[in-house]
Formats: sequence, structure tokens, C-alpha cells
Amino acid sequence: MDLHLNKEELNTCVQCGLCLPHCPTFRVTGDEAMSPRGRIKLMREVQDHDAPLTKEVIRSFETCVQCRGCEPACPSGVPYGHLMEQTRETLAEAGEITPLWQRLAFKPLEQPVALKMGSAALAIAAKAKLVPKRLGLPADLAVRQESLTASGDDLYLFTGCVMDAWQRDVHAAGQRVLEAAGFGVTPTGSLAPCCGALQAHAGLLDTTRDLAQTMMSSLSGDDRPILVDSAGCGAAMKDYGHLLGTPEAQAFSARVFDIQEWLAQHVASLPKVEPLDLVVAVQDPCHLRHVQKVHLATRTVLAPFVRQLVELDDDGLCCGAGGAFSVLEPELAGDIRARKVDAIQRVSPDVVASANPGCSMHLGGAGVATEHPMTLIDRALTT
Amino acid sequence: MNLLGKAKDLLGRASASNDPLVDDLVDALGSDAVKVDAAHRALYAHDASVFDAGFAGPTCYPETTEQVVAIMAVAEKHGRAVVPRGAGTGLAGGAIPLGAPVIVALTKMNQIHDVDTVNRVAWVGPGVVNLDLTNHLRPFGFHFAPDPSSQQVCTIGGNVANNSGGPHCLAYGVTDAHVAAVEVVLIDGSVAMLGGLEDEPDGLDLRGAFVGSEGTLGIATKVAVRITKNPPAVTTLLLSFDSVADAANTVSEVIAAGVVPAAMEVMDQRITVAVENYVGAGYPRDAAAVLLAEVEGLEAGVALDAKKISEIGRANNATQVRVAATDEERALLWKGRKTAFGAIAQIAPDYYLHDTVVPRAKLAAVLEQVYEIADRHDVIVMNVFHAGDGNLHPLLLFDRTVEGTLERVHAAGAEIVRASLDAGGVLSGEHGVGVEKQPYMAEMFTDADLDHQNRLRQSFDPVCRANPGKVLPMGHSCADIQSLRQTPPGVWG
Ligand SMILES: Cc1cc2nc3c(=O)[nH]c(=O)nc-3n(C[C@H](O)[C@H](O)[C@H](O)COP(=O)(O)OP(=O)(O)OC[C@H]3O[C@@H](n4cnc5c(N)ncnc54)[C@H](O)[C@@H]3O)c2cc1C
Ligand code: SF4
Ligand code: SF4
Repeated sequence: MDLHLNKEELNTCVQCGLCLPHCPTFRVTGDEAMSPRGRIKLMREVQDHDAPLTKEVIRSFETCVQCRGCEPACPSGVPYGHLMEQTRETLAEAGEITPLWQRLAFKPLEQPVALKMGSAALAIAAKAKLVPKRLGLPADLAVRQESLTASGDDLYLFTGCVMDAWQRDVHAAGQRVLEAAGFGVTPTGSLAPCCGALQAHAGLLDTTRDLAQTMMSSLSGDDRPILVDSAGCGAAMKDYGHLLGTPEAQAFSARVFDIQEWLAQHVASLPKVEPLDLVVAVQDPCHLRHVQKVHLATRTVLAPFVRQLVELDDDGLCCGAGGAFSVLEPELAGDIRARKVDAIQRVSPDVVASANPGCSMHLGGAGVATEHPMTLIDRALTT
Repeated sequence: MNLLGKAKDLLGRASASNDPLVDDLVDALGSDAVKVDAAHRALYAHDASVFDAGFAGPTCYPETTEQVVAIMAVAEKHGRAVVPRGAGTGLAGGAIPLGAPVIVALTKMNQIHDVDTVNRVAWVGPGVVNLDLTNHLRPFGFHFAPDPSSQQVCTIGGNVANNSGGPHCLAYGVTDAHVAAVEVVLIDGSVAMLGGLEDEPDGLDLRGAFVGSEGTLGIATKVAVRITKNPPAVTTLLLSFDSVADAANTVSEVIAAGVVPAAMEVMDQRITVAVENYVGAGYPRDAAAVLLAEVEGLEAGVALDAKKISEIGRANNATQVRVAATDEERALLWKGRKTAFGAIAQIAPDYYLHDTVVPRAKLAAVLEQVYEIADRHDVIVMNVFHAGDGNLHPLLLFDRTVEGTLERVHAAGAEIVRASLDAGGVLSGEHGVGVEKQPYMAEMFTDADLDHQNRLRQSFDPVCRANPGKVLPMGHSCADIQSLRQTPPGVWG
């Protein structure tokens, strides 16, 4: 079957295996079929040698967290993320993956009102312990939150879908921190309902393209930087240039910054305050570290505001959240998380700073105290 | 196993297998630990080498020595060969399955059982990743000295089986010098402890026979490795040259001057550029060759050695001598060197890496021949090598989809190996013999030598079911042929 993979990209893999230890699913299973090298080899078998799409082949593709930890580890520069996204798109179109119920589940993300209602219901259910434990949701999801209002027009703050519904306190904190650094902020709210990252992971690239177009047309007109406080969304929006392949999309992507990435350039503008008396471990969301490659900024912005920053010793291995992965593959995601929890326990911090809502919730489900870097800084600034 | 597990197994088996071998393996290990589907057979049919894929039987993922024993018993009952496998990074084809064997993937036996810093020994599972062990030892102030370039992924079991080396083995010796004892499951399912923790274990050195046996004497299930104290001071130098010969001559003169650096690695221009594209460590793109040298020990000695190396380099026309200023810079330089083989895909999709050793004094001359041979066969060659011990790694780059290329690559490779042997060198520096260098064994060893090697092997494995078809050339290896009866082709594999 033609997976529509670029032959050259597929050929860059020399099967050396250097990526294996950086792959969370290989780490917990020791199985080649759950490794980047194995997945690439199976793509080749299917595309070049017409190997049948057996359930094991599909399983190999479906179990990929798409954390892209294999990419920076690969000295040959295999563009693994694109290969896997394209594979999933072809398979989703052929009806081999992402069944209808999953597609329907993504729908509310594109419609903020529906999402907020659904999320409030879920938050209440989580409090009442009605949510199946395997979803790993923390019991203290926010039910109602303060609304965000524009304070100026220097920057956009992208508020997105899931995160706006569940972690609006992070946006509020991020906005206050940006304001403290002297910027006027416009939250995007319903201007830009959803970035399309989860859909892209599921192979529904057409939906992502549509969402990208919507966002681009509502945020065009000026070239204000667009700041994003969720690593996964930021990575997706920085990829619009590649996804749509148009000069407009490339220009749009160039305006997208992770909020830490932006603030790292402006730390000097933030007020000097007494740091919080906390030992904070930095957990790098994969899409900040492996995809956007701006994870060091988190340290730069956070360091002045907490007593001590500590590093985990697991080389940035994924925590297993992976967008919807932790819901779709709870067992694997749990095994992967256990490694992360061990790494966290080895440095015994007071709190773990994580710049991605998915990671926070996934780790929260294992009882790890997490906080977004922005809420930490905001606390230091306001206490 | 609980009832649910049993029920799942029964169901799984009814649909997955009508092979009694598989049924017995599933009985012994549970269905999750045995894979027989076409995808797994395709993936386990090869390792990181360029040789033709083999034909994989069921792949098993044991977690304990007892489970390995059980696998051996099942394999014996069905007369099937057994091939151990670590991370599958071997470059000589050692883990390629021949004759649909049971593959024993040791990746899940990855526990570090015990670290004893007083006696400087650690007991580890064979599936422990080399670099994970060193990282684990860091807080104790120790490391595991053999550091193959693949150390971030290869396993201790694979290191033992291939007697692997690495840049720092120049000062510390290859894996053999760092293995005190090995627990081995023999082909008949018995468990033997080879070697011991005493300095001079009694009897024959069977541990020594096992190290480097490439899976043909049994499966290592636990290894007592010797751990090495981290040096108080380390200095890394990067020297640039306008010719590969100047770099090679610097290396032999450094050793001749009595300096024993911890590592001395040379890369030629093409590979340096590819590496620099990946790591951005500040490797010079315009030098014909670079020498990465590292000295370690006490502060004062290190400074003296570093000075001596710079002087010798300059006397041999070094155009630049740079000393890494920080640990980060050092780490980045090494990251570049250690990912060199992978980085070449920027240039061509396939590579064939050779691994001969030549006397240091002949390095420059043999290298010249290597470039000449590659030119004549119209293949791209790059050189990256453990210069300190004369271990050459010429990389032949190609695209196997271009008709006729593979033949030219093999022809050039054969000439390179011969040139090294003619210069008084040996076949394999560190990657093992596997299927790769088998044909040359008869050139390197006499019939009597080979016969003795075969008798040693037969005393461990009289029926040649342990990784058959490897190392010893066919004519010399016992019942290999019988173990290699092929499963009918046609199944996707
Ligand atoms: C990019 C790259 C760089 C490399 N650099 C070096 C280098 O610098 N130096 C070097 O020496 N090698 C190097 N190699 C080769 C390879 O990594 C080593 O030979 C390594 O030791 C193999 O380990 P593995 O776990 O991958 O073993 P595998 O490839 O899985 O197996 C290798 C052999 O060991 C046997 N085996 C594996 N586990 C066991 C066990 N538990 N008991 C018995 N037999 C077993 C297998 O049957 C096979 O014959 C490199 C490879 C790559 C891809
Ligand atoms: S993806 Fe890169 S690192 Fe992994 S096997 Fe292929 S070439 Fe090697
Ligand atoms: S994206 Fe992550 S899970 Fe997928 S193959 Fe790469 S490292 Fe493994």
C-alpha cells in the first residue's frame, strides 16, 4: 500500500538503532515493533514491499506516542514526525485507524461552547469520582474560571481549546506575567478556537488544515507575535508553514512563540522579587524539547523566581501523556509514566514545573504535584 | 499466571499459532512474551549491519534466567536453533537469524542487580544498556570503561558477546578486561557461572572463551562487570590537519613517545562535515582530518600529556590545536564522534562499515590504499577510526537501490580487508566476525586453528544450535548445516 511517504525521507534511516533508548515505548517494552527503527522499517515494508497491513503493523503505528524523542537522537536527521503524521493520515483516510468514535470525540474541540459544557460536566464528574480511573484525570479540575480580557495589543496569547476549558488559570497567570514585563496582551479566545494538534496526531490532517486556515485568517491583519503556553499547541502552530506549504502559513508560523521562549528574551523586564521557597524540578514536555527545541528557556525564566531548579536525569524521555495517547493507550502510558515518576522521585522536588497541560494532567493522575511555570512566576510576583 | 491470563493465552493461541513450538513457548512464558507475527519476523530478521536479512522464528522476551532456561528446553525439544539478541546494533550480522531460530531478545533483562564500589564490581542483567550503567554509576564516582560509539543503545550482553571496544579502550582495554564473571545458560538448559570475583579464579578461563563468542556458546543472563573509578582530571584536545597522513603519524608518534592517552580518534573531512552538521560542536569543516585526543589522570600529569600531544601535533603540521574549555564542549565533541556512523545518511542511505586493525606504524600507508581502492571501485569512502590502537573503520557509502552498487561495495570491502591483512593486521577490531568476516577466517587462521576453535565450540554446544552459521566458516563448523534448514520461503519475512 502506498503510504504516500516521501521516498527520500524514508530512506534517510540507516537502521543504526541510536534512537531506540530515546523512545518511551521501546524503553518499556524492549520490542523492536515499538521502536522508531522498527516503525520506519515497517513503513518501508508496507510502502516499498507491499507487506500486508496486519493488526500488528497497525498496532506498531498506533502505539507511537508521537513524542518525537527519536528525532534529536537521530544523527541522520530522519524527519520521523512527518513520516508518522503522513502514515497516520493515509491510514485514517483508508479507515484503518482513528475510528468514528474518536473522530467524533475531537469535534467539540473545534467548537468552544460545546467543549466548555462538556469539560465542566467532566470536571464535576471527576470531583464526584465518576470518571474511570484509567483516564488518569486529577480530581481537582477547575469547573468555572475567571474570564480573560484584553489589556493591550502588543501580543496575542493563544488560549486554545482543552486548555482554556481546563486550565484557564494558566492563561490568566501567563497574561499577568506578560503584563508585568510591560506587554499589553490580547487573549485569542474564540478568535482561534483550536490549533488542530490532536487531530493531526490522529491522522486527520485535513481537519488540522481547516483549523489552521481559520486561525490564520482571524489572527492576520497585523504581525503581532502569538504566544502559546501549551507546548503541544505551540509545536503544531509552528508547523503550519510545513503543513500548508504556503508563504502566508510560513509567515504565520514565524510569529508563533512559546511563552517561555518569548519571556526568556525579556527576563530583565520582570520585577525582581523574593523567590518562592520551593525546589522545582523541570519536566520538559516533548513538544517543547524535541520539537520546538526551546526547553532551555523554561529554566531561564523560572530560575529567578524559585529557590532551586533541579534537572531530571532521564534525558527528556516522554512522560506518556502524548495528547490523547494516555486515554487511548492507558496501559502503555502508565508504564511510561512510572519511569518518569521514578526520575522525579530521585530528585524529590516540592513541585514539578510542566509547560504542557497534557503532561500536567497525566502526571497529576499519578499523584505528582505539577504547576505551569507561568503560575509559579505569577505566584512569586503577586505574593 | 492468573486465570484471566491463561484464558487470554488460550484464545490468543487458538488464533495465532498452529505451531507446537510456539505453543510450548507461550506455555513457558505467556503470550505477551512470544511474538510470531509477520511484522516481528521482519523486524528481527536483521540487525544494524548491511547483510541480507535472515529468517526469524518466534521472538521471546524473557525476564529471568529461569525463563531463558525454559526457552532452551523448548528449543531442544523441537530441535530448533537459538539466537540471542541485545539491542541489535551489531555491525557484523551476529544477531541475524539463520534457519528460523528462536530469537531470545534480552532487552527486558535490564536490571542492575548490585553495585559494590569496594570490590569494584557490578552485577547486571545482559539487557542493561551500556550508557545506562555508566549513568547509574556516576553518583558513586565510577563508570563502565568500554564505551562503544553505540553505548547509548547497545547492551552489556552484546558487548560481552562481541568483546566490544570503544574510544576509551585505548587506555582501559576492551570489554574482556572488564568482565569478572558471566552466568550463562548453555544450549542444554543448564546454568553455568564462568569466571569469578577472585583475582585468579581456578581452572580454565572459560569466561575468557565466552567473551567474544558472539552467542555461539550460550546466552549470558547475568554479568559481573568491573567498574572503573572516574579520573580526577580530563582534558580533551582537537587537532586539525591538512592531510590524513599527518593525523595518523601524530598518533603513532604520541604512542612512541610513551604517552598513553585515554582515547585517540581520527575522522577525515567528509565524516567531520557530516558530524558537524548534526552536533554543531565546532569541528572544522575545512580540515582534511581531525584528531580527537583525550588524556586523563592526575591534574599535573594530564597537563604534561596534553602539552606533549600538542607539540607532536604541531611538529606534524597540525593547523589548529584546540582544548575543550568546558565539560559541555567536551561532551559535544564526543557526541559528534560517537554519532559519526549514523550521521552519514545525510550523504547516502546505506553504509558498510569495516573494522580491521593494522599496526599503528602502517596506518598512513594502509589509509592511502583504502582511498585508492574505493576510488577504483567508484564508491564513496569515509574514514573514522580508533587511531590509538590502529583500528580502522572505513565506511563505504552507497544506495542499495542503485543496480550493481552492492557488488562494487562488497568487492571494495574485500580488497580493504586483504590490504589490512597484508599489512600484518587482523580481521576484527571490535565488531565481531558474525556472518561478515567468516569468509576471511580461513585466510587469517590455519586449518588447525579453526579446528581447535570448532572443538571448543562443540564442547559447549555439540549440535550447533547456539547461533548457527556464525563466526566459523561453514566447512569448519560442526552440524551448522543441519540447524540451518530453512523454513519454506513465501512467508513474508
Ligand atoms: C552507530 C554504531 C556505532 C558502533 N560503534 C561501535 C564501537 O565503537 N565499538 C564496537 O565494538 N562496536 C560498535 N558498534 C557495534 C555494536 O554496537 C557492538 O557490537 C555492540 O556490542 C552490540 O551490542 P548489541 O546489544 O546491539 O548486540 P546485538 O547486535 O543484538 O548482538 C551482537 C551479538 O551478540 C550476541 N548476543 C547479544 N546478547 C547476548 C547475550 N546476552 N548472550 C550471548 N550472546 C549475546 C548476538 O547473538 C550477536 O551475535 C557500533 C554499532 C553502531 C550501529
Ligand atoms: S531513525 Fe535515525 S537513529 Fe533511528 S535507526 Fe534510523 S537512522 Fe538510526
Ligand atoms: S515519536 Fe516517540 S514514541 Fe514514536 S517512535 Fe519516536 S520516540 Fe518512539
